[in-house]
Amino acid sequence: MLASLAWRNIWRQPIRSVLSLIGLSLTSALLVFMLSFQLGSYDTMKTGALGLFDGFGQFQPVGYKDDPDVSRLLPDWERLLAATDIAGIDAATPRASSFAIMAKDDISFGAAVFGVDPAREPLVSRISTTITEGRYLLPGDDATIVMGEGLARNLGLAVGDTVIMLGTGNDGAVAADVLTIVGIFSSGISAMDRQITQMPLARFQETYNLGSAVNVVALRGADFGKVVAADAALKQLAGANGATYLRWDELQPALKQMITLDLSTAMMMYAIMVIVVVFILLNTLYMSVLERTREFGGLLAIGMRPRQIGAMVWLELIFLSGLGAVIGIIIGGALTVWTNSVGIAFPEMGDILRQWGISGRLYPDLTLVSALAGPGVILLAISVLGVIPYRRILGLEPVSAMGAA
Amino acid sequence: MPEMTRRHLLALSAATVILPSAALAQDPGEILRAAFDNWRATTSHAVMEMTIKKDTGTRQLTLESWTEGDDNALARFTAPARDAGNATLQLGRRTYVFNPRLNQVIQLPASAMSQSWMGSDFSYNDLAKSDAIITDYTLRLLQTGSSGGRSFYVIEAVPKRGVPIVWGKQIVTVRDDYVLMKQDYYDQNGVLVRSMVADRIGSIGGRPYPVQLTMSTVATPGQYTRIKTLSAEFDISLPSYLFTRSNLQNPR
Repeated sequence: MLASLAWRNIWRQPIRSVLSLIGLSLTSALLVFMLSFQLGSYDTMKTGALGLFDGFGQFQPVGYKDDPDVSRLLPDWERLLAATDIAGIDAATPRASSFAIMAKDDISFGAAVFGVDPAREPLVSRISTTITEGRYLLPGDDATIVMGEGLARNLGLAVGDTVIMLGTGNDGAVAADVLTIVGIFSSGISAMDRQITQMPLARFQETYNLGSAVNVVALRGADFGKVVAADAALKQLAGANGATYLRWDELQPALKQMITLDLSTAMMMYAIMVIVVVFILLNTLYMSVLERTREFGGLLAIGMRPRQIGAMVWLELIFLSGLGAVIGIIIGGALTVWTNSVGIAFPEMGDILRQWGISGRLYPDLTLVSALAGPGVILLAISVLGVIPYRRILGLEPVSAMGAA
Repeated sequence: MPEMTRRHLLALSAATVILPSAALAQDPGEILRAAFDNWRATTSHAVMEMTIKKDTGTRQLTLESWTEGDDNALARFTAPARDAGNATLQLGRRTYVFNPRLNQVIQLPASAMSQSWMGSDFSYNDLAKSDAIITDYTLRLLQTGSSGGRSFYVIEAVPKRGVPIVWGKQIVTVRDDYVLMKQDYYDQNGVLVRSMVADRIGSIGGRPYPVQLTMSTVATPGQYTRIKTLSAEFDISLPSYLFTRSNLQNPR
């Protein structure tokens, strides 16, 4: 009864209601799209930055994060490969790494050398897809190496040349080797291209005297969120094997900080948007309550209780904002789904994005959170603030109300 | 006269307080210079034993070293077999390493100078810039003390502005016969990072000498690198080819 009255009341002033609805739904749509875009680009950044090399998570020896010394080892790393049995984890790859001097004739540079499994590594890291000259490491490779184009250029090396590697092995003895360059990669991140080299794990273990041990096991899954969700199971597996598990935000704390900073400034903007819209709308509706004082007086005179009238007006508010939210979610959702399929290009931001391993295109991602958060907050705020017109109506008295202008 | 006596006594007691320290008071740069001269002389040739103790085990290496002035030094490992033949040559601030397996000489890039030397607690920087403490630091004599009948100078060394040095300061203790007793390395926050102690002083090549030096890092208790000088001769004449790249690769 009250509900249908409230619904009919909305359409007694169609133009005003439609204008309010447009304001509400556009704001909601904008919130849906922007939040989807923002959260989606975070996912793209995380996937891009971590998928390039680190992996979505890593098993490491205890203390390795603070002191990544080649002598900190995971002797039982093969048991950690069982991580792929955990839902959400699709691939795991062992790595060993150390600092070494790369030299060619009289030129030498310091670099990070990674011993990787040529078969498993491409399942976790995108480096193999960024080879610009030659090829990536292959199973069966021995004294071979791939390196970033910046390092190759600095050393004056091309595919087919040999390079001298001089490092310190697990036991402190000199680890020296002569390796043939089979490929040069260009990851787009110049710091990586100047510092990273990869060689076959077996040769690395031999040269650095690691036996069959490795330093880390890096993980990847098809869905970033599912890897994050598998956190507890991965930590348990690590603990059972004397290792620690590092989540993405422990591998790339700078990325995490950047996202937190960006999100908190955006949240402030969203909050301002919601507050402005809610109060404009509330003002309009409160005005209409004031205008309808005579009408309410009449209703009181024919026996309706002030509470019922208040509830009716409150319902009008909720219906209007609810309808606006639904329309907003539909418009915003549709916009998001469409842009998700084509992506949004940011040609002028290419360089910044490349640092995080992202091509110049970002994809909004519609999730339950991004679809419901913005409109939900508006709906909730209006519903709660509906108490203001409600209380006003409770104070009405039939005779004086009917006499109002 | 009582007045005279009192003044006389005052003067006397002042003299006794001031005189011994006046005899010791010297420029801290000169003290360190003398300590380095005692340690390395004009030229030196020594046989040493380096013990590297880590969590994972202990390695013992034998090496032969030659130095000339502040700038030139050559160290060649002679044992054990797997380390023998590795050599490090320092010419001024350039450092070269030779590896017998590669049969190659490599000049170390600046980025590698902070790396460990042969897996020890010493870095290549320690070898190359051993006397930098005199040239690149502002020195201050903190105190002179005595213990066991000997006097000691404690010198604080703070890097000069603009000089790329990782340490916040160093505190060096030198005995009155210019034997380097202790060298403490502090970080930029004034926290002790590592410490080198002369835990045995003896007489080698006719001079008082820190026969055994132990370097330990605060962050890794129980681990250390100990260098024991087995024999040494000083101020000898060394052939000019000694400190060359070709001699590094093909010792005569």
